[in-house]
Amino acid sequence: MHKSNPIIPIIAVVLGFTYFCFQAYQPPDPVEGFHLEEFARLPIVDRGRIKPMDTFARVSLMVMNDGFQTFKPDISEKEKAELTTLKNKSARTPEENKTFTSLSEKDKRQPAVRWLLDVMTSRFSDNDIEKQKVFRIENDQLLRLLALQPRPDLRYSIEEFKGKMRELAIARQVANQKDNVNNDPFEKSVLQLVAQLISFFNIASPAEKHKVFRIENDQLLGLLALQPRPGLRYSIEEFRGQMGELEKASKVADQKENAKKDAFDKSVLQLAHHVHSFMEIASLQTPLVIPAGKAEDWKPFMQASLESRNANQADPNTGKTAFKYFDQMLDSYQKNEPLTFNKALIDYRELITKELPAQSEISGFEVFFNHFAPFYHCIVVYLFVFLISCFAWVTAPATLNKTAFWLCILTLLVHTWALGSRMHIQGRPPVTNLYSSAIFIGWGCVLGCLMLEGIYKNGIGNVVGSITGSLTLLIAQHLSAEGDTLEMMQAVLDTNFWLATHVTCVTLGYTATFVAGFLGIVYVIMGIATPTLTPERDKSLTQMIYGVVCFAMLFSFVGTVLGGIWADQSWGRFWGWDPKENGALLIVIWNAIILHARWGGMAKSRGVALLAIAGNMVTGWSWFGTNQLGVGLHAYGFNDQLAWGLTAFWLSQLGLIGVGLIPRQYWLSSRMASKTISIPAKLQPKQA
Amino acid sequence: MSETEPNNNKYNPNKNSQFNFLKLLKPLASLELTVVLFVFSLILVFAGTLAQVDNPIWTAVSDYFRSFYVFIPNQVFARFCQTFRWISPTAQWSGSFPFPGGWTIGGLMLANLLAAHAVRFKFSTKRIGIISIHAGIILLMLGELITGIFAIEGNMTIEQGGVTNYLELKETSGFMGKVNGPELSFSDLSIPKKEKVVVIPNHLLRTGGKISTPLLPFDIEIIKYMNNSSVEEIDPDKKEEIANLANTGDGIRIRANEKNEASGTDKDQKIDLPSAYINLIDKKTGKSVGTYLASIWLSLSSLKPTQSVITEGGTKTEMALRFKRSYKPFSMELIEFKHERYLGTNTPKNFSSKIKLVNENSNENRETLISMNNPLRYDGQTFYQSGFLPNDKGTILQVVRNPGWVMPYLSCFVVSFGMLLHFGMHLNTFLKQRANSNA
Repeated sequence: MHKSNPIIPIIAVVLGFTYFCFQAYQPPDPVEGFHLEEFARLPIVDRGRIKPMDTFARVSLMVMNDGFQTFKPDISEKEKAELTTLKNKSARTPEENKTFTSLSEKDKRQPAVRWLLDVMTSRFSDNDIEKQKVFRIENDQLLRLLALQPRPDLRYSIEEFKGKMRELAIARQVANQKDNVNNDPFEKSVLQLVAQLISFFNIASPAEKHKVFRIENDQLLGLLALQPRPGLRYSIEEFRGQMGELEKASKVADQKENAKKDAFDKSVLQLAHHVHSFMEIASLQTPLVIPAGKAEDWKPFMQASLESRNANQADPNTGKTAFKYFDQMLDSYQKNEPLTFNKALIDYRELITKELPAQSEISGFEVFFNHFAPFYHCIVVYLFVFLISCFAWVTAPATLNKTAFWLCILTLLVHTWALGSRMHIQGRPPVTNLYSSAIFIGWGCVLGCLMLEGIYKNGIGNVVGSITGSLTLLIAQHLSAEGDTLEMMQAVLDTNFWLATHVTCVTLGYTATFVAGFLGIVYVIMGIATPTLTPERDKSLTQMIYGVVCFAMLFSFVGTVLGGIWADQSWGRFWGWDPKENGALLIVIWNAIILHARWGGMAKSRGVALLAIAGNMVTGWSWFGTNQLGVGLHAYGFNDQLAWGLTAFWLSQLGLIGVGLIPRQYWLSSRMASKTISIPAKLQPKQA
Repeated sequence: MSETEPNNNKYNPNKNSQFNFLKLLKPLASLELTVVLFVFSLILVFAGTLAQVDNPIWTAVSDYFRSFYVFIPNQVFARFCQTFRWISPTAQWSGSFPFPGGWTIGGLMLANLLAAHAVRFKFSTKRIGIISIHAGIILLMLGELITGIFAIEGNMTIEQGGVTNYLELKETSGFMGKVNGPELSFSDLSIPKKEKVVVIPNHLLRTGGKISTPLLPFDIEIIKYMNNSSVEEIDPDKKEEIANLANTGDGIRIRANEKNEASGTDKDQKIDLPSAYINLIDKKTGKSVGTYLASIWLSLSSLKPTQSVITEGGTKTEMALRFKRSYKPFSMELIEFKHERYLGTNTPKNFSSKIKLVNENSNENRETLISMNNPLRYDGQTFYQSGFLPNDKGTILQVVRNPGWVMPYLSCFVVSFGMLLHFGMHLNTFLKQRANSNA
């Protein structure tokens, strides 16, 4: 055995700690410019929960944008060219400097909250923009065409000539067919007005230019007259003309039975849904931003705006003032006036902190949590731990094992903190939905494996802990793309006592079954592909698997029975034989099979390992498979990716079991073992 | 073991008879049998889960778990493959194979367990854990047996401000409480304050044909019985493709269409809603009084749940196809039904019913609140908040009488204790061994 070196583990832990600190650090808002981070912290109400603007922005954007919580603003070729020239310029005037900063800002990925502000300020609901008299029309002929009366200032609003848009379009077509030089004054003014209109609409709604809608389906792209491009992300502006087609197609798709919906129908419905939620934000109907003393009385901006116009409407003072500040914020953001924006934000912030101190504090914490994204960084470090512990098999085991162990403990601490933070934000026990079950299972796996490592100190706990930890967190990452992971509970699940006991117990049962299964995988791989499965290791691995299966048995049984008791408490049926209950029962039965097969001598060390791997398959079914079955009739319930993921998982486990069934004499570990002791073995009496 | 026991036999001839008995028990007590039974139960539970895709949950429960044997259709495995898109969603796998049902597997497990303890029974502190675990499991299985045989489930629907004193028994899978579906009732309301009811049970309706009883002035001929149905209003201007079977009563304006049986995973309908076309033939004249549509749908709409049947003799009877009723010595009045939602959404947060409970026999008159996860236990039954009428106009309580309800609680406690003890002792020994080997 190599002597362990204390320096390397310490360095690794310090490096890991620095990494986490670096990720957690949130740079403050720039003094000049919009205080976006501060805006992101404002509490709002959405889907029954008080949450920060930040979470709402991230989730809304992520759902449309296929998992991305940031976006890349649309930057034109011209602006790009300007940026490059400015970059290469050695001396810039202050004016140029300003353009440079704003342009280079535009070239970077932007936070979701900026997208949200862009959408919120597009003010679709606001009919006022059409009433603004901003278009100067001098040409008599054009005025006649648009049926307008000449007036002293010659300024007109869109509302006044909306009815004549068709005529204008025809005139434009005619004018476009000629060279610019040949256009007469009428045609020139037509083209000028059209150009003004286009730019007016673009200024009115920068949000429509953001390419955030992911459209994969070829048929749908065809319907919307879009060309496939890398990234497959499109802006509303690009398919605005085809919106009617989309609506028609979505109506047709909506009327079909769920089972008969094809990929095209599904993507049509999905896009229609995304556009709908975009429009809801743009027309300020969601989220509820205007606070009130009672949580039930929060209002969307839209409603508050209508009420503010109606002087008779009695409105509590808080709401009124809040509306005023919020209106100022939106207005100044739209006009690109950071100073006014920041001032209104400070006023608003003060108001809300005074009225709802607890909520705004939790909101602020949630923003920090979102920014830190601790689970994501845990995946990174767990993978590192995995690499280190794999290396440990090749070189200097003692030092590297220690390094992996301590780094894993550090990551587990962050993981634990993150789990606790979610509980703090939500005020609930750890497992409330599929996403949180993945996080919790990961946490349990790592904790259990580190305990095993603490006892055995053979590096196996490090390998299994880091790989199960990172895999489950990856699954969680994938699940989180569906929406807010801190969603509210269904009425019947709204009980902290049973969530804390039954759900936690059953989830720990899943956890232990997975740990046993992965130990089984380690057994097979070590035995067949490496010479490291010595009789001593064989014995300790078998002990580990057995011990973990005992734990799995305890938690899955108690958890399942507690679930039955909950059901008895809630609707009078201890055991209803429904798919999810049966799934849990299958795990109990499977663990019972492993234990009894071992006690009866039907399965020895290898048998137990292979049975434990099959336990992974059973747990996979209970965890995800039963959901697929139960919700198979819901609109978006069937998740193809999940189905394929589960299929792949089952095949891999079956493969491993198949490999494990290869006769022992072909295993690398037994071939090496027989080589080293081949001569003395002949002299010794044969083992029974 | 096998080497030492014959010797025992030789030297202890007194124990001969007992030994033979144990020897007989031995194969029954084997761990191999335990494992085989576990594997069988695994397959049964799995198939019983898959069967719920196409069948109502209680059909699956009574076919698979509360039965002695079951023919498992291959189609359930096709459903499994379809769930994961391995095969075409329209694929049909014909055929089925016999398999032991829940009673058989459970019974054998119980026998196996008892035999094992009889054969290998040795009381020592070491075995307290394992004995507790198994005792708890036996309790759990007996509990399920008692539930399967004796439990009765029903519903109590109370409108806002209304009073109800009976349960409606819908389909359940219990042995004793077996209710197949709604029954046809004829009530004579001629004597005020007393309702004389004649009930035709569901199984007779299913059998069809002519039903005759001296209690009624007419014979009943079942023209058509539909296990599950939907109803629609008949458009008088439209020419109907199929002639209307009914020629009087509500059936003139409403038509019932046959539907497939409800399945357990259906989102909005979990129970079958039957309808029947029946011809009533006057006993005296031998002439038809009329062909009526009797439907559970009509009874569910509270406007007028019954239809009047008037014979030539002038006797008036109220007819309805309704869920089997079980009248209670107490009544419940709905004072207020509350349906709370999460703010800014339609997602329900909680349902609760404020109930006034009146029992004249015991002079009880009190108010009580039933809400999600907070049932009322009264008169040996438990009342759960289960649903509500459209527009929150009333509450639906699920009512359960289950004499075995306490068993799982006991079992959970006993098994947890056993497992903690057993595995704890293992862990303790193991850690001691490690400490010794490391030292």
